[in-house]
Amino acid sequence: MKEIRNAAFIPVDISEQDVFEAMKHIKGYIDITPGDFKEVYQSAYDLAIQRLLNSLTADKIMTRSVIFVDQEMALVGAADLLAEKQISGGPVVDSNGKVVGVVSEKDFLKEMGFGATPSFMQLATHCLNSKSCMIRRLHNKTVGDIMTKPPITAGSEMTIGAISALFAKHQINRLPIIDDDMRPIGMVTRTDLAHSFDTLGKRSKI
Amino acid sequence: MSYFNKMKGGGQSPPQVGLTEVLWSWLGSFLGLAAVSLIHYKILDETGLMMIIGSFGASAVLIYGAIRSPLAQPRNLLGGHILSAIIGVTAFQWLGGEPWLAAAVAVSTAIAVMHLTKTLHPPGGATALIAVIGGESVHNLGYLYVLVPTALGAMVMLVVALMVNNISKNRRYPEFWF
Repeated sequence: MKEIRNAAFIPVDISEQDVFEAMKHIKGYIDITPGDFKEVYQSAYDLAIQRLLNSLTADKIMTRSVIFVDQEMALVGAADLLAEKQISGGPVVDSNGKVVGVVSEKDFLKEMGFGATPSFMQLATHCLNSKSCMIRRLHNKTVGDIMTKPPITAGSEMTIGAISALFAKHQINRLPIIDDDMRPIGMVTRTDLAHSFDTLGKRSKI
Repeated sequence: MSYFNKMKGGGQSPPQVGLTEVLWSWLGSFLGLAAVSLIHYKILDETGLMMIIGSFGASAVLIYGAIRSPLAQPRNLLGGHILSAIIGVTAFQWLGGEPWLAAAVAVSTAIAVMHLTKTLHPPGGATALIAVIGGESVHNLGYLYVLVPTALGAMVMLVVALMVNNISKNRRYPEFWF
């Protein structure tokens, strides 16, 4: 996980001197030391941030028209579907409609033999330098063979704060949202998450 | 932080108030103390009753000089003085034979009760102490000490605070009543 240096957060911090100056603007004797005020402020600020992160939940930001594929589906069919819908991945369900995995471009590339952290550019390099494109390995396989499992999923009540933590921890880009019966009801992607933070940022200025 | 490191402090004092604030504090406390002293010396002096006790000087600091402080609000002013007076008189009547113990119990219990009732008002500690160390004139009052001078005096000071502290457009009192 990429660590953001603490120094990057300093702009939202206040100093005791800031508090001291602010107190000077308020007429009358304020019965608190600047240090204690800063402590109160920081605790309150943390609570406000938490409230902000908890104010939006998965069901409010997820894409509802979720495209999912059956685990028995042949890879060629799945690739066709993903290409047609212009998405790079989606949840995989079993015959009961329960989510059993997630499949994405990365799983295709991995299966083709491009290692644990495959990229399209590896594929491009390979195909440009040799005649075979390693695509044969994908024949006669089903989605169930290559999907990432067990899937990382979440309920519709998960907050965007918790979703962000999940994305960062597992280095994933999409999170199927499931109901109590493990059926997919939506999908939160990186883009959905970015949108939600953008909206929060704009709202907080009102 | 280690025990001895804590003694170094390290924080800073709040900023100094402006001159107008000083003048309003002076005027309020002058009028507040004038009111209770006039009643004390001109009306009650010959009756054996009293209107002024030392802790009112401390209350004046808060309700005229630090009017935003939670410790200076009516709930604290009245609640702190009255509860502490009850505790002080009780401590003297039960433990008066050992004045050192009565004094210690009066003040410490007053602080605890003020905390528990959210009425912390520092001068309340003095009110409880005076009930023990105030001499004959105070002891003779018994529980009347709670009403006169304590409750009545605090109310007179409160009325003056309400009148004076709200004149300036930059001042407002109280922040809350109860």
